[in-house]
Amino acid sequence: MRSERRSVRTGFLASVERFGDRLALQLGAEVLSYRALHDRAAALAATLDAHAIEREPLLTAVFGHRSFTAYAGVLGGLFRGHGYVPLNPAFPTDRTRAMLLRSGCRSLIVDSHGARQLGEVLEGLAEPLVLLLPEQEDVSAFAARWPAHRFLGRADLLGADRWRATDVDPNGMAYLLFTSGSTGQPKGVMVAHRNVTHFVDAMVERYAITELDRFSQTFDLTFDLSAFDMFVAWERGACLVCPTQSQKMLPGKYLSDCGITVWFSVPSTAVLMSRLRMLKPGKFPGLRLSLFCGEALPVEVLQKWADAAPNSVLENLYGPTELTIACTLYRWEAQRSPAECELGVVPIGEPYPGMKVLVADERQREVAVGETGELLMTGPQLTLGYYEDAARTAAAFVTPPGRSEVYYRTGDRVRRPPDGAPLVYLGRVDNQIKIQGYRVELGEVEAVLREEAGVDVAIAVGWPVTPSGADGIVGFLGAEQADLASIRERVITRLPPYMHPSELRLVAEMPLNANGKVDRKALLSSLSQAPTQ
Amino acid sequence: MEESDVRSKLRGWIIKHAKTPPGAGFNDQTQLLEDGILSSLDIVEFVLFIESLLGEDVDVEDIEPEVFTSIDTLHAAFFAAA
Repeated sequence: MRSERRSVRTGFLASVERFGDRLALQLGAEVLSYRALHDRAAALAATLDAHAIEREPLLTAVFGHRSFTAYAGVLGGLFRGHGYVPLNPAFPTDRTRAMLLRSGCRSLIVDSHGARQLGEVLEGLAEPLVLLLPEQEDVSAFAARWPAHRFLGRADLLGADRWRATDVDPNGMAYLLFTSGSTGQPKGVMVAHRNVTHFVDAMVERYAITELDRFSQTFDLTFDLSAFDMFVAWERGACLVCPTQSQKMLPGKYLSDCGITVWFSVPSTAVLMSRLRMLKPGKFPGLRLSLFCGEALPVEVLQKWADAAPNSVLENLYGPTELTIACTLYRWEAQRSPAECELGVVPIGEPYPGMKVLVADERQREVAVGETGELLMTGPQLTLGYYEDAARTAAAFVTPPGRSEVYYRTGDRVRRPPDGAPLVYLGRVDNQIKIQGYRVELGEVEAVLREEAGVDVAIAVGWPVTPSGADGIVGFLGAEQADLASIRERVITRLPPYMHPSELRLVAEMPLNANGKVDRKALLSSLSQAPTQ
Repeated sequence: MEESDVRSKLRGWIIKHAKTPPGAGFNDQTQLLEDGILSSLDIVEFVLFIESLLGEDVDVEDIEPEVFTSIDTLHAAFFAAA
């Protein structure tokens, strides 16, 4: 192996040396060995390097979805010494174009899904780009239509042996990932190689990952939890098993049929499996590790999962993109854990090795034990901030009074636990609203709604909205049918009057955002469109 | 229920719930998953809908994910024998 400074690709390259013939990637019935995936990535990197645009930023965009090209593209970007910028052809093209423009990225690797959307994305883009479409035999039609850009197809691909590794700065970007900003403008989070390698090292040790493991890959590449799947699996020669579109429809079947040993998904996927009656006791005996992250994990669903996967360790992870994938974890223990849960959700636990927690008030001063406050964290997973956005970086990455380190303000509300107790997620800071002057944690209303309605998902929003907060609360229950009047009667016996929902609504299908989380804004706007009765 | 009724009810549900609206050429062979018309996020409600048409529970253990490929495959898997 070439001697180089440690970066995100280093673990993959070491696995190519050790496990070259083992499977690195499976997509439906198709498979790629470590050697084959390496060669694809090296060919992409060599080809783009040969056509590099002068003074391009050290970023390569990957416009693809669930294809060998997409994964090879991620590695191809890293092989170039670039960070990768994942773009999904299934997402709105306006947003994709905005991300491309904001990133300043000049090189794109495009799979066949992406190729179909190219017209809309390239519309109005003036800067010349280099677009590599390795699945296209003939790119002359693209070149004729968009003469400002350079198109390269399969025939232009150089051999893998033409790739020359250049040194990678561990402080440079491993990926640039866009998250939605409150103003509607996506924010690019710059995640450094050293952030990711620190995370990967901690994970492969903690979970004793080996080449025999088979990882689920439920997350889109634009969601940073996919970086866990890829880089933790590839660090130790494991196989990443990506579901096809049809396999995604029945996740329980995908899990069993593909022999998954390491499962990682948002809790919503577990909720969906529970509703499809897929979480039957003893159903997944081969699963040895089950991880959940991305939103609050309902206790009831995790208990069903524990019964379905009797040989699996279960952990709830928590972390914003700005703190690299996940930064706290909680291991579920059947005896101890139920008493540690609050509001019907599983705690988020303790910080990862090397990470430090501060639970603080609005002025970033630490609150007393038992008090609630905003969660701030720092440590080796603290990312570089927002790309070309000093103002928003300064607002979110702060040095609290009396501290010397920069902390990231997560915007999440937790209670400062006594020593040894886990952190409990109480909701977003901005999910705490004022109603008639009272502070209301919407998460608390949601927990009572879930329990009384017997549903897995309940969302409370402040409505009607006022300049100081809201006048009341409307609750949405994720169910097709329910006796709303009797649920409301029970709910109001458990909450103080200012927290009573004025109205409950049934939502058979909760609107979800691109990452599969419940889209609160969509629920709120459904209220503004239709007057409440 | 007549076959044409079942097919038309399936089409109606899909048009109502589609994330990506099916184009003018939408028919019983249109690729529901590949074209992004139906996604895994719809599966629970869709299975409940199929159960309501069948008048009985569907055991998801017994079905292959490929049955969701098109209205033709859905009809063959759930309704053809009925």
